[in-house]
Amino acid sequence: MIWFKLAFKNLIRRKTRSILTVLGVAIAIAVLYSLFQFQQGYQSRLKGELGALGAHVMVVPKGCPYEAATIALHGGKWPRYMDESLLPKVKANPGVAEAAGVIMDAVFAPGNKNVILLGIDEDYMKLRPAWHINGHWFDSDSSVIMGSTSAQEAGLKPGDFWTVPEKNVRLHVVGVLNRTNTQDDGFVFLPRKTLQKISGLEGKLVLILIKAKHVDQTDALVASLKADEVDMNVFPLSELLGTIGALMASTKVFVSAIILIAVILGGVGVLNTVLMAVFERTREIGMMKAMGGSRGDVFKLVWAETILTTVLGGVAGVFIALVSSRLVEALIRGMIPYAPKGSLIGFSLPTMAMCVVLSLVLGLVAGFYPAFRAASVKPVEAIKAE
Amino acid sequence: MEIASTCDVKPAVNAKGLVRTYSRGAEKIQALKGIDLDILCGEFVGVVGHSGAGKTTLLNLVGLMDRATEGSLSVLGHDTALRGVHFDALRRKNIGFVFQEFYLMPTLTATENVLLPTMWGKARDMTEIGSAISDRVPSRKRAEELLNLVGLGKRMTHKPSELSGGEMQRVAVARALVNSPRLLLADEPTGNLDTATRDGIFNLLMALNRDSGLTVIVATHDLSLESRFTRVIRLEDGVVK
Repeated sequence: MIWFKLAFKNLIRRKTRSILTVLGVAIAIAVLYSLFQFQQGYQSRLKGELGALGAHVMVVPKGCPYEAATIALHGGKWPRYMDESLLPKVKANPGVAEAAGVIMDAVFAPGNKNVILLGIDEDYMKLRPAWHINGHWFDSDSSVIMGSTSAQEAGLKPGDFWTVPEKNVRLHVVGVLNRTNTQDDGFVFLPRKTLQKISGLEGKLVLILIKAKHVDQTDALVASLKADEVDMNVFPLSELLGTIGALMASTKVFVSAIILIAVILGGVGVLNTVLMAVFERTREIGMMKAMGGSRGDVFKLVWAETILTTVLGGVAGVFIALVSSRLVEALIRGMIPYAPKGSLIGFSLPTMAMCVVLSLVLGLVAGFYPAFRAASVKPVEAIKAE
Repeated sequence: MEIASTCDVKPAVNAKGLVRTYSRGAEKIQALKGIDLDILCGEFVGVVGHSGAGKTTLLNLVGLMDRATEGSLSVLGHDTALRGVHFDALRRKNIGFVFQEFYLMPTLTATENVLLPTMWGKARDMTEIGSAISDRVPSRKRAEELLNLVGLGKRMTHKPSELSGGEMQRVAVARALVNSPRLLLADEPTGNLDTATRDGIFNLLMALNRDSGLTVIVATHDLSLESRFTRVIRLEDGVVK
């Protein structure tokens, strides 16, 4: 412990330089923590969102399945539709337990707030056994059920009236969903026919969500649906997870390269700083040896200083990553086409431990050469040196 | 309190035909040109001479910080020419150094600076000579006693920046004594001090020699101090005169 106490006191002799070095490592570790956590959070959140759909298979019009997934998960306006007449055919498939046709639209409320409208019917409820409606189900074509967040933002409760922005249609709020902690919280649910009418999309659907009778036979169900409806995209949600996962995995190499460069730069910065400090302290190191310090003693001291620098940087880096997580998340979200909702960079003890261990290893590696140089100082030459 | 360990070797330092040659590029510089000398335990010896006479080179050799080019040198009974002689451990256990520059760690207090040499090689020393060293393993109490001895009892928690030049050199003397050495080497210990402070430090070294029998060798170019040594070795151009 006395080594680290002395090493710490040596570091605070050159406060500015030490702080800048620690900061260099901290930034590298913050990048590492943020990107690593983002990737992990992305996978787990995506899994959660797909699970919340309550379906095993999705049928969407032909087009990019990635885009379709975004629409299915987060809602929106997608100028691709399928005919509603497809729905009974899908329902008739023997492998289908439940099938719900969905129409979607997006409008802008005052304040430029995007409102996602979902047109659904009773079939959709069958995919949502956990839903609890504060109020009741649609009782007329002019009724609406609000997701909990949507209701909160609009200040609505059951019994109130709500006018659909842009469409100028007045609807009766018959129910508000209790919080589900899924994407449903942010949606506004209308009877399907009503939304089709006010959006001018009569007889159209954006997607059909299907619950399979036998989950283990999902692939067979997909094959059978594809055989029936060749013009549609039919895919199991597990495949969608795999597709998005593969897309993210392809960015992993790029992300890993960024992390590696950041960590190497941090390490080179530490090596340079400690080496400079060793050169400046040549006479002092010579004195330590004159007082009986061995090569090993001097090596240990300089190594301890380096390790202390990088570990402090590691801890500071994790702290910076946690504090700046919202900002980093917003930046990354702006660069990728789809990201699950909710916080992706969070508190993770294993990732923290990994970062601190990595900073320790960085210190061991970066400190080796300066420690070796310091240990090689000859006391006589050091004391003579000016 | 035991200031120094017993020196029972005769002589403490023995040199025969000691030569030290340095290379500066193609040029060879002979700093010591065949020195013979004996220094006995308990002596207070002054190595005097002008700048460049070879005083520091001689002290570095005796202090086991350098090796002779030619000749033989025995320090406290150890033949320094023998392979396998571990200079660091020998120096740590037996020799205390005081230099013209104080080299105190600026972030440590006076007590912590005195304790600093106790950090080095402790584990290895314990293994090498077993429990015999345990009585000599210094503690904070010993560091405080030494600071009291050098007259800094009230400055123990002060950092070097809060001490005068003379006080810093006193801390350096206490630091040199913390491992109970058998030999104390001082290279121009008063070179950076004013006359009054110089006398204080010199009196302290004399008192250490007189009261504890510690063998003290002081290199100085201050000829006015000559009369205060029990013996003077005069060096001139690398040769004893």
